[in-house]
Amino acid sequence: MTDDLHSLIAPYALDALDDLERARFEIHLAQCASCQSELAGFVVTATRLGEAEELPPPAGLRDRLMAEVTTTRQERPVVAAPAKPGVLRRTLPRLAIAAAFLVGAVGVGGYVTEHNQTDDLRAEQAAISKIVSASDARTTTKTYDGGGHVRLISSDIADGAYIVASGMPNPGHGKVYQVWVVKDDSPVSEGVFTTEGSMVMEDLDGADRIAITVEPKGGSKQPTTPPITTLAV
Amino acid sequence: MTDDKLDGKGDPVAATVSPLRVVPSAADHDAPDINELLTRVGRGDEQAFGAVYDALGGAVYGMAKRVIRDPARAEEVSQEVFIQVWQSAPRFDATRGNAKSWVLTLAHRRAVDAVRHDQAATNRENKYDWSNGPDYDEVAETVTISLEHEQVRRCLDSLTGLQREAVDLAYYKGYTYAEVAKTLDANPATVKTRMRDGLVRLRDCLGVES
Repeated sequence: MTDDLHSLIAPYALDALDDLERARFEIHLAQCASCQSELAGFVVTATRLGEAEELPPPAGLRDRLMAEVTTTRQERPVVAAPAKPGVLRRTLPRLAIAAAFLVGAVGVGGYVTEHNQTDDLRAEQAAISKIVSASDARTTTKTYDGGGHVRLISSDIADGAYIVASGMPNPGHGKVYQVWVVKDDSPVSEGVFTTEGSMVMEDLDGADRIAITVEPKGGSKQPTTPPITTLAV
Repeated sequence: MTDDKLDGKGDPVAATVSPLRVVPSAADHDAPDINELLTRVGRGDEQAFGAVYDALGGAVYGMAKRVIRDPARAEEVSQEVFIQVWQSAPRFDATRGNAKSWVLTLAHRRAVDAVRHDQAATNRENKYDWSNGPDYDEVAETVTISLEHEQVRRCLDSLTGLQREAVDLAYYKGYTYAEVAKTLDANPATVKTRMRDGLVRLRDCLGVES
């Protein structure tokens, strides 16, 4: 691929990219076998840099973690969808498509990417590419206590936005986060996620913000709680 | 922001794409065990989770402390990392990845995000941030120096000055390459290249399979 993007492999492995570049590179990475191959070695090398700093962990941390996991629900596994072009979009909500595609990129630090190449997925990728590579692409990040964050990359030229949620606090038992596009104070649901996910939102002309609320599992028709986050588009 | 742009030439989506895979690392002799443990964690095995923590808790905390400095904040981030490990373990595929790298990568990303977030908050409060300069003279608390630490130190010492500083500022301080360039008064493109050269040399020095 391009020299420019290729030169980001090492900074990416060292987490030395800003949010926007990280998102751009991850799009590229998903399609660049040579980048993945080089990155794999760099990631293991970076892991060694981290391991070399090993210290005795704080007393009590283990006990707190063991107590916390007994009451923390796990994510569901990502099931590889059948590689039939055209099937995916009808059988999976689009958030699930993007989440499956990005589970590595977003969820585990960028080098485990699993998905099937379907036409739908390519369309999804094309839409993401168009947004993040637009000359007016801008990124807004909302970070939550505990390190989770929501990142919105939007572009007027591409008339779309790409939102990525990562490491969000658990919304609570039987609850999900729901994403809304708000036009003239009327919210339209874009999808739901639990602790992480990503989605493309198109046709944002006239929209003034994106809002995220906590809703019962499955989502609501209209927001039922005040937004935890509002991002200007 | 960046002066790099995605190349407009050639729609990447239209390119022929081969199935994606991760090249498993043979560098970690104990990786298969952690892979197996993490797979069990993915099935809800709390005991296996405890074993993963016992294997990697020190590395995660130590790395987080090195990046973040503040022990309390590092502990907080370590706790979040392991909860995320618990939550996301069902998505870990041992045939595709290396559990140790998976956890450490996750942890480093979190630690870096935490320092950047905290830094942004500090910058809002203090116009002048005296703590922000590079400091190589910090002496950590007494640590049993491990062989791993020695080997990494030795390999880092084999890099050129700019390679080492670029890798060090990025990995251990969470600097973006643009911030590294500013700190070292170097061209960003040069910094990216030095990071790559540095990682290649480190990789080879540490015996990581490329």
